[in-house]
Amino acid sequence: MKILIADDSRVMRQIVTRTLRQAGFDGHDLVEAADGAEAVEKATSEKPDLVISDWNMPEMTGIEVLRKLRADGNNVKFGFVTSECTEEMKSAAESAGSAFFIVKPFTAEQFDEVFSPILG
Amino acid sequence: MSVETVVTADDLAEMVEQVWVSYLDPEGVSPLVMTGDDKQATEVHSTVSITGTWHGHLVYACSMQAAKKAAAAFLAMEQDEVGQEDISDVLGELANIVGGNVKAMLPAGCFLSLPTVVLAPETASYYPAAERISGLYGVWDAEPISISMWQSVKQEATA
Repeated sequence: MKILIADDSRVMRQIVTRTLRQAGFDGHDLVEAADGAEAVEKATSEKPDLVISDWNMPEMTGIEVLRKLRADGNNVKFGFVTSECTEEMKSAAESAGSAFFIVKPFTAEQFDEVFSPILG
Repeated sequence: MSVETVVTADDLAEMVEQVWVSYLDPEGVSPLVMTGDDKQATEVHSTVSITGTWHGHLVYACSMQAAKKAAAAFLAMEQDEVGQEDISDVLGELANIVGGNVKAMLPAGCFLSLPTVVLAPETASYYPAAERISGLYGVWDAEPISISMWQSVKQEATA
């Protein structure tokens, strides 16, 4: 499975990668994007099976990325890993078609719970 | 509205503890020990601003040594392999994580900025239009660390 990790923090992209591995999801093809615009571009060109995105990013926010993809007819499975979690954000994410919402700081156990049904 | 009624020092401590458990001290061998010393000198400052229904800043401050140690823990590297870019990135993310959790406790309608990291002594991080309203002060393996909240003075005056 190909997974796109979008976060403006290189460190956080590494931590998401490491936590996926710790949660037992090895062997997937990982692609990275360092801002929202790059996330849209790679979600289109790389055709990932899953997008794990930060919310607060330069160029475009994560929710803008998701809305842009859906508006373009791209129905890739998409969810957020973000430090911000308010009811309004969760509700906006769900309405836009987000499949999950993980709040930082996160643990391998949380990743396992969320991604097991998706990554198997 | 005073943020102290919404986000207490105990709330901040709980958020920070989660960061330690998840990233900085997953094995539970070197926790952040609270000292309450708000005069301790720090060399690295990472700030996220909150605007909207509440105006202010969340500041994560520490010594350069503590910053290197945090970067090494985040990146699973040795401290002597850590570069300045790694330190800025990790410190920014630390303020972002705590700031994001703080935002979740504030009234609806707040926005969080991207982090700003200054690798310079405390005198370089001065918030002329804000005052410190709460904070945690402690040591991590004898290195100073603080997490403080600053509220816009202007908002208080017009509230």
